[in-house]
Amino acid sequence: MTTPLLALEDLNVWFELPGGGELHAVRGVSFDLEAGERFGLVGESGCGKTTAMLSIMGLLPPNATVAGEVRLDGENILARGEETVSPHRWDDIAMVFQGAMNAFNPVQTVGSQIEEPMHLHGVAEGKVARRQTEELLERVGIPKDRADRFPHEFSGGMRQRAAIAMALACEPKILLADEPTTALDVMVQAQILELLVSLASDFNLALILVTHDLPVVAQVCDRAAVMYAGEVAESASIDALFHTPKHPYTRLLFAATPDLRAGGDRVASIPGAPPRLDKPIVGCPFQPRCDSAFAPCATETPLLKNVGERHVAACHLNDHVREPATA
Amino acid sequence: MSASIQGGAAAATEGVDVGAARRPGSIRHVALREPTAIAGLAIIAFFVLVALLSPFLVTGDPKAKVGPIFEPPSASYPIGLDGGGANMVDLLIAGTRVSLMVGFCAALVSAFIGGTVGVLAGFYGGRTDVVLMRTTDYFLVIPDIPLMIVAAALFGRSLTNIIIIIGIIYWTTTARLIRAQVLSVRERVYVKRARALGAGNKRLIFKHILPQVAPLLVANTVLLVAYAIFAETFITFLGLGDPSVISWGRLIENAFNDDAILNNAWWAIIPPGLCVTLVVLGATLFGQSLEDALNPRLRVGHLSVRRFKVRPLRGKLDSE
Amino acid sequence: MRGFDYVGKRMLFAALTVFVAITLNFVLFRTLSGDAVSALRCRQCTQAFKEYQREQLGLDKSRWEQYQLYLEDLAHGNMGKSLRSEQPVTHELWPPLKNTMAMVALGTVFSIVFGVLVGVVCAWRRGTWADKGGLWSGLAFYSMPPQWLGLLMVLFVAGWFGLPTAGIKDPTLGILGDASTWDVFVDRIRHMLLPALTLGLVLYGEYALVVRSAMLETLGEDYVLTARAKGLSNWRTVRTHGLRNALLPIVTLVALSLGFIIGGSITIEYVFSYPGIGLEVVEAIDQRDYPILQGAFLLLTLSVIGANLLADLLYFKLDPRVSG
Repeated sequence: MTTPLLALEDLNVWFELPGGGELHAVRGVSFDLEAGERFGLVGESGCGKTTAMLSIMGLLPPNATVAGEVRLDGENILARGEETVSPHRWDDIAMVFQGAMNAFNPVQTVGSQIEEPMHLHGVAEGKVARRQTEELLERVGIPKDRADRFPHEFSGGMRQRAAIAMALACEPKILLADEPTTALDVMVQAQILELLVSLASDFNLALILVTHDLPVVAQVCDRAAVMYAGEVAESASIDALFHTPKHPYTRLLFAATPDLRAGGDRVASIPGAPPRLDKPIVGCPFQPRCDSAFAPCATETPLLKNVGERHVAACHLNDHVREPATA
Repeated sequence: MSASIQGGAAAATEGVDVGAARRPGSIRHVALREPTAIAGLAIIAFFVLVALLSPFLVTGDPKAKVGPIFEPPSASYPIGLDGGGANMVDLLIAGTRVSLMVGFCAALVSAFIGGTVGVLAGFYGGRTDVVLMRTTDYFLVIPDIPLMIVAAALFGRSLTNIIIIIGIIYWTTTARLIRAQVLSVRERVYVKRARALGAGNKRLIFKHILPQVAPLLVANTVLLVAYAIFAETFITFLGLGDPSVISWGRLIENAFNDDAILNNAWWAIIPPGLCVTLVVLGATLFGQSLEDALNPRLRVGHLSVRRFKVRPLRGKLDSE
Repeated sequence: MRGFDYVGKRMLFAALTVFVAITLNFVLFRTLSGDAVSALRCRQCTQAFKEYQREQLGLDKSRWEQYQLYLEDLAHGNMGKSLRSEQPVTHELWPPLKNTMAMVALGTVFSIVFGVLVGVVCAWRRGTWADKGGLWSGLAFYSMPPQWLGLLMVLFVAGWFGLPTAGIKDPTLGILGDASTWDVFVDRIRHMLLPALTLGLVLYGEYALVVRSAMLETLGEDYVLTARAKGLSNWRTVRTHGLRNALLPIVTLVALSLGFIIGGSITIEYVFSYPGIGLEVVEAIDQRDYPILQGAFLLLTLSVIGANLLADLLYFKLDPRVSG
């Protein structure tokens, strides 16, 4: 079996709280990413998906503690924290942030900010860098003469494209995108998603898309992991998640999404709220809101089990499956 | 002194508990929780106490000569004697009373003017607002201390005059602050509802708007006390103060005029200035943390010298 | 043309404020102290002479006429004559003004340098002892009356470094032999050093606090996270992305503090007997030389207005987001 391009194994992140105590934001998350694959990370706000993604690049604040491994081409880049992860930033793994509108420094031109990582990582200098920047801008649909403009002169959608161009500056292997289409209007959203898909195939990029918006995942990704309360509830191909979910949360989540094509369906939302992450959780974290909870759910933590072809889920309903998921 | 200290002592009082900040108007709540606010309050309380007790602590005329000029500190006179041979301890205590009184009264004058202007401008809006704010803008540009000095030179040297002059100079930032607060309160639902029920302007102002504005005004007044005490030292130092009265500013002036430096009489120079510094510091800390609690702003930093920590895996979860 | 609107508006405001300042000046002095001039100046004078004086100073005319005369005079650069020396006010005030400007410039440089250094270090090492220490010391100095700090400087620092504590010239310079320009320059700087340092210390606290806040706010911005994600080291991020954005507020702050700088420098000059405009003001008050006082006050006010305008324009130039 070939080594996956990126493998998260048992990733845990704790945050020290100002009043004392800890917030356990990511609780043992594991998944794999192959080269060129498009992977979605889905969940409600606060489920830890953004934190997990930031951890891949080591972009955590000083009050964070991390455990587990993030293996890039087999090598654990989190081994010694900042020291081992920072060389891979942008060069191998790049990111488009949530609200990428603000990713740009307002007092510098957009072009200079795209060239900056090129200089930094020795990818290109001077005129070459300039030319590559212009090519990138054109590739994302921005006229190249805009390189000398300031961020506030771009519309929201264009800034997002520019942020994507900037992410590709050093030809990374993996692109992380955190809610790339929130705060954009629907037309622009569709364009950006199309752009991401075409870029991924042109540049042979692996893509991890973090979002709470299921239609987006459905449109762009091949596989996805559903996160809940800092843990992976289920991970499978999009098809399997839609049609044969093995975790009640997945099922309810997809049911809660209004399907505009099938008219008039009730929108089912999941009552209740996720558990607090500053206290230990006993049993299954979803149990209080689950419609299929039964005896073991309140007291025993469900383990991730292989429930199908590249399909894992953590739910006691799958307890009849003998083998645990191999990490 | 510009109000841009607003960016300021906030930093020293960082770490305000978000929980406290979410309950507006709970001054007592903040004051009792935040260490720097407590320190500031303690300092002010100490001096206020001294000021109140001063008639009992100082018997007789503090300016009376009790020994040779500029005698160094000794057992009987722990802070030594000044250029007139008077006991520094007595002088300082008497000065506390005057300085604090000037500070509080002037601050009240400023707060009153500023508060009124702010409420009127914010509440009535329109032309009143524009006129009042333009006036404030012009006032702001004119340098405060030269104006005070000139006014003091022209209008005479009584204590009351000084208080009025200081009060008139410093109302501008208060006015802006209060106006902003009134603007936000005015739009709140219960005010609109009261108005719809037919409440008159006066009632609206006094019953609904003022109570919401009052905490911020109090916080600002504390800061004004600091400015006022500071301003008083300027005025008296230049010889424009009330000659019959002892204040900290006067003590510094005396030390200067009596050539304390030539006599190396540090005990005549350091204590009065130290008192001013401490009170101003205390008031600034306390007032600023109050203001911050009522206008909370929190920010997360993405950069720090310190890094995130890596913990070795605690051991995999047990497999069945 | 970008921002023509903005520049125009600011200049208009400045012009109006100048006008208000001039009027205020007039109101303060002429209207309220007109008679005081003649009364205090001369107790032995005959009534006729007092009448003559009043006529000379234009005090016999109506307020409105006086005002018009005043404006006319000002337009010609005439601010009256000093009561002490009978010299034109403008003539009397020019050298002290130069002295003050030099000292204040030096003091401001000190305060900006200290302020930026301390502010950046504090934001940089946020939450550590360095941060708290920087903040507290800044606050402490800011709370000190400048004249008191000046006295402390004289008491403790002057002796140590052998710096002069009064005046601006060494009286012995140039007597025993020709003093070169360099010697004169050094002499002036030595005399300016303590007052400027006092000014710098009193002011830096405020700048440090603002730089720190601006820095922290900048550091919390998304583009800083992006910079870190791009692989920039902490230091490079601070330098290229943080610093410039954080320094913008300093520009306006310096201008805004000019009011305080001027006030502080008055007392500082008094302590150090430094012959600047502040000392002129004090002496004029002492000797009831109202024309000088009025002229000095007007000059001070105009410089503050001018500095504010300059700050507005500078900010406009530095921040591409401001377009009016």
